Amino acid sequence: MSRLNPFAKLPGLNTASVLLVESEEHFQQSLAEALVEETSVTVNVRLAKSFPLPIENDESRPRIDLVVFIINLTSELSFQSAEASLKYLEPGYFLGKVCFMVTNARSSSVPAERLDAVRRLAASLHCPLLFAEEQTPEGVTNAAERLLTILKAAAGFVPFTTPLYLSNLTRCTLPPDIDQPSFD
Amino acid sequence: VEPPDMDSSGEDINGMVEKDDAPKGPSGQKETSTADMLRIKQQMSNQCFEMEVYLNAGKNRRSCSTSEAERDYSDHISELERVKTLQFNQTLALHRMQMWHAMGEKIKTNDPEADALKVVNQRCMALCCRIKQIQQETRLLQDEITELQKKRLEMKRLTHEKMKEMEDLMSRKEHPDTEKYKAALEKGQTNLEKYKKMSIMAQNVLRGLLLACKINWLDDPKLRDVAMTLEEFPITD
Repeated sequence: MSRLNPFAKLPGLNTASVLLVESEEHFQQSLAEALVEETSVTVNVRLAKSFPLPIENDESRPRIDLVVFIINLTSELSFQSAEASLKYLEPGYFLGKVCFMVTNARSSSVPAERLDAVRRLAASLHCPLLFAEEQTPEGVTNAAERLLTILKAAAGFVPFTTPLYLSNLTRCTLPPDIDQPSFD
Repeated sequence: VEPPDMDSSGEDINGMVEKDDAPKGPSGQKETSTADMLRIKQQMSNQCFEMEVYLNAGKNRRSCSTSEAERDYSDHISELERVKTLQFNQTLALHRMQMWHAMGEKIKTNDPEADALKVVNQRCMALCCRIKQIQQETRLLQDEITELQKKRLEMKRLTHEKMKEMEDLMSRKEHPDTEKYKAALEKGQTNLEKYKKMSIMAQNVLRGLLLACKINWLDDPKLRDVAMTLEEFPITD
């Protein structure tokens, strides 16, 4: 089973590569377009539905600085697909090179347990958890901005900061009352 | 924007999105300035540091529990932050020293820029003196305000005390006075009743006498006056 290795290839000069993984392939396109708008660095965006990634692209694929799992909270399949993809990543990625992004958190059809499950997953892996609003252009731009901050740190563009250090500051933490029943 | 590559078997797609007019790197026409090169150098050194850390990570392995690892982790993080703050402050101090040294050197050279610098310096000093003055005034005013507030508080306290005293006195005074008053009142009332009865009795007797002896009281003025007063008191029991 081939895992994606963060240090198997040389980093690109003035480049940051991010891999957006979304089983529904809905948000990734607009997010990718917003991400490449960045001018100070060259942002490479690669899209995938899930792991394992096709072997044919292994050669041409650049070194991935950040893997973003986009989970749509209204679908259980989305969460399960993301969870199943985790084992295809080398542990080195979990030191600040993985990020979870969640959409549709405000939808009323979302059971509370699913968000809790995503939180637990992100907290156990010490990864940041971002909430994104995908339906408006402002939402997409905001999500892209926040993702770029993490991406720049992961690709080494922020002096005196490693992705591990940043992940310690931005990692998802569980609220102390997560095991208690929620309002509804 | 290139369309995503479709795998022939229709499985996982791995697509690429790239901006059309992005600078292409060494083969492109865009020239990299010194600042850009420094940035790239810093990026590379960051990456190398990361890789070094990763390589060295396996060397100091020891087995311990997760909770111990968590504790060590947070200890290390606090230590790291402490050192970072220290380094930041020291760098600031160093920069300050460098700045002052450069300014000092500049002023010594006596060219027009140095003169402008001197003028700015003078202005800064004048403003600093003014600031000190105003700060002192502020302090004095603040002290005065505090004094006034203290006095006001004291006044309030005294007023409060006086009011309490007054209330005390008023409630106390009623009690002994009303008691004595009550006693006197009762005594007076019993006396009054007694004398009233006596006078009524006397009047009844007199009336009886007048009627029984058929004394003609109309003619004698003195007797008539006395008889008239008999009418005032009702004949009780």
